[in-house]
Amino acid sequence: MSALGTVVEVFVSGMAKASLYAMMALGLTLIFGLLGVLNFAHGSLTMVGAYAAGLVMVTFATGGGLAAVGWFLVAALVAAVIVGGVGAVMEVGLIRKLYDRPPIYQILLTFGVTLVIDELMRIVVLFYGQQPRADWRAPIGTKPEFIDSSTSVLGASVQHIDVFQFAFGVLTVVAVWAFLTQTRYGLVVRAGSEDDEMAAALGVDVRRVFTVVFALGAGLAGLAGALLMWDPTWGASVPLASETLLPAFVVVIVGGLGTFRGTVIAAVLVGMVDGVTTYFFNEGIITFSGISELTIFLILVGVLVVRPQGIAGLAEVGGH
Amino acid sequence: MVAAFGVYPLLYSVLIALGGGVAEAFLPRPETMTAVFYFGLFAMSFDFISGYTGYLSFGHAAFYGTGGYFVVLVANGKVPLLPADTPFMVSMLLAGVLAALLAVVIGSLSFRLSGVYFAMITLGFAQVMYVFMRDWEFVSSNPRDGVAVSNSLHPEGFEIGVPGVDVLNLAIGPLRGDEIEWLFLDLGATEVSYYMVGLVVLVCYFAMQRMVHSPFGRVLVAIRENEERARAVGYDTFRYKLGAFAASAFFAGIAGALFAGVRRSVSPDNSLYFLVSGDALLASIIGGFGTLAGPLYGWLFDRSVVEFLSKTGAGGGLLPLLREYLPASVVDASLVGGMTLGEGIEVFLNGHAPLYLGIVFVVFVLYVPGGLLGWVRERLGGTVAKQLPDYLAKFRR
Repeated sequence: MSALGTVVEVFVSGMAKASLYAMMALGLTLIFGLLGVLNFAHGSLTMVGAYAAGLVMVTFATGGGLAAVGWFLVAALVAAVIVGGVGAVMEVGLIRKLYDRPPIYQILLTFGVTLVIDELMRIVVLFYGQQPRADWRAPIGTKPEFIDSSTSVLGASVQHIDVFQFAFGVLTVVAVWAFLTQTRYGLVVRAGSEDDEMAAALGVDVRRVFTVVFALGAGLAGLAGALLMWDPTWGASVPLASETLLPAFVVVIVGGLGTFRGTVIAAVLVGMVDGVTTYFFNEGIITFSGISELTIFLILVGVLVVRPQGIAGLAEVGGH
Repeated sequence: MVAAFGVYPLLYSVLIALGGGVAEAFLPRPETMTAVFYFGLFAMSFDFISGYTGYLSFGHAAFYGTGGYFVVLVANGKVPLLPADTPFMVSMLLAGVLAALLAVVIGSLSFRLSGVYFAMITLGFAQVMYVFMRDWEFVSSNPRDGVAVSNSLHPEGFEIGVPGVDVLNLAIGPLRGDEIEWLFLDLGATEVSYYMVGLVVLVCYFAMQRMVHSPFGRVLVAIRENEERARAVGYDTFRYKLGAFAASAFFAGIAGALFAGVRRSVSPDNSLYFLVSGDALLASIIGGFGTLAGPLYGWLFDRSVVEFLSKTGAGGGLLPLLREYLPASVVDASLVGGMTLGEGIEVFLNGHAPLYLGIVFVVFVLYVPGGLLGWVRERLGGTVAKQLPDYLAKFRR
C-alpha cells in the first residue's frame, strides 16, 4: 500500500474513533459544566441506549438497504428519549438532594446508580435468553450491506462504517454547539455554567435548567449507545457500561472538565492516538496488545500531572 | 466483636446442626468469611485514606493487585532475587512494602490535586497498571485470564506464621491448607484458613486503629474537615497525606497477598480493575465511611446478601429455604403470566444481588451517610466497645 494510502486509512479510522469518543463524552461534559456532577452512571446510560436502539432495529429494520439507515435514525432518537427520561428521573429523584454536599457524594451516588442500572439490564437481557457479557449480535446484523463494505480512495480502503460514524459524530457536535451558542436556552445553560447563583438572581429557574441539562446529557449518552450498537468492536452488551465510561472520563478530563470545545479537541486527540497505535499494533511494529488503552490512560495521567485543568479548562473549575 | 469472630466457625457448625436450612440460608459460610476478612482488610485500607482524609482513592485496586501479583509471581520464581520457595510471610510483607513504595510514587504526583481530579488521576494510574498486567505476556501465557501458582515450582501451600519455624506455621487455602486435631478441637482446612487470615487481618486492623487514634490520625481528620486550616496551623499536609497513602497501600498490598495466597491465583479483573476499587467503596459506604472497622462489616453484609441470593444455592440460599419450608404448591404456584414463584425468584433475585446492594448503597449515600457502624455509634453515643457495657447495664436491675 502507498504511504499516502496508509495515512488516509489511519486518519479516517482515527476520526471515526474520535467521533465515537466525542459522542461518549459530550453528555458527561455538558452535565459537569452546569451541575458540577461527575456522572459515574454515564456509561450505564450509554449501555441502556445501545440496547434500546438495538431493540428498535431488531423489531423494525429487518429489510436492510437505505430503509435501515432511516430506522437507525429513529432508533437513535428513541434511545436518546428513553435514556434522557431516565436521566431526568435520576436528577429529580436522587441527585437534587445532594447539591449542597461535597462533590465526592455525587460520585458515590451515581456509582450506586450504575450498579442498579447494570443489574436491572442484566436481568432483562437474561430474561430474553441473551448473554449479558457478550455482544448482542442481532442488531449488528441489521446493518445494511453498503455500510458494511469499503471503498478504495487514494489506494486506501475506507470503511463506510467509519465515514458513517464520523458524519453522525460531526452532526451531533454541531447540533450541540448550535444549541449552546445559537439558542436562547443555550444562553441560559451557559450562563448557569458560568455562575448558577447569578443566573438564578436574574430570574432563571435554575433547578429546571439543571433537570433539562441532565436529561440532555443523558440523551446524548443514549445517542452514543445507538452509534456503538452498530460498531463491530463495541456492540450492545452490559460491560459496555464500564468500557465506555473510562474513555469518556479520559476525554472529558483531558479536554478540561465542563468545557465543550476542550472535549471535542480531546476526543480528536484520543481518537487519533487510538487509531495510530492500533495501526502500529496491526502492522506488528508494537507487539503489546493493550497499547491503545495503555496510551489513552497514560495521556490521562500525563495531562493531570502537567495541566490538571485540561486543554481548554480554566484553573479554578472543579476545585483542585 | 473479635470474640464473636473467634467462635464463628464453631458457632456455624453448631447452628447448622441445630437450625438446618434456616441457619444455612442466612449465615455466610466460613469460606465466605475468609474472603470477607481479606477483602474487608482491603476495604478498611481504602477507608483509611478515603474516609479519613477525604481524598477518594479510586485507583486503590492498584495496590491490592500489586500485593496479589507479587506473591504469585514470587511463588512462580519470576521475581529476581527471590526464589520460588520464599516463605509466604516474607513475600507478603515485601508485597506490602512494594505497594507502599508504589503509593509514594503515585501519591507524590496525585496529591497535588484534590476532589474529582484526585479520584481521576489515581483511577488513571490503576488502569495503566490494569492494562499493563492484562497484556504483559511475562506474567503468564494467557495474562488476560490471570496467573496461577505453578504446582511444580511451588507445590506446598502458603503458610502463615513465623517463617523458618515449621511448627509455628499453618498453610492456608482450600486444597493445601493444614488441618488441626488437638484436644477436642478438630479444625479443617477451611477453619484453619479462616483463623490464620483472620489473625493477619486483626493485626493489620490494630495497626491501622493505632494510627487513626494517634496524633497522626487526628491530622488526617483535620485535613478532611478543613485542609487549609490544617495547613495554616502549621502541618505539612502533603507529607501527612503521602504518609497515610503509603500506609494504606501497605495494608492493601497485604490484603491482596492474602487474597492471592488463599486462592493461589490472581487475575487482572478480580484484582486490578477499577470495579474492585468500586467494591471497596461499596463496602465502606454501607459499613461506615470514616469508621475504620465499618468497611469490614459492610463487606460482610455484601457477601451475606450475595450468598443469600446466590444462583447455585451454595451455602444455602433463599430458594432452597423456600423449597424446604413452603409446600411445593406455593413455590410452583403460577403468578403473573404463568411464571411460578420459584421462577420469579430465579429471574429477579438469584444471582442479582448487585441490584439490591446498589439500591441499599444509594439509600445509604442519601440517608445514612455514617453507614451501619456510624449509625450504631450515633445511637449508642460512642464506639460500641466503650458504650456497650453501660447500654447493657440499663437492662440489668
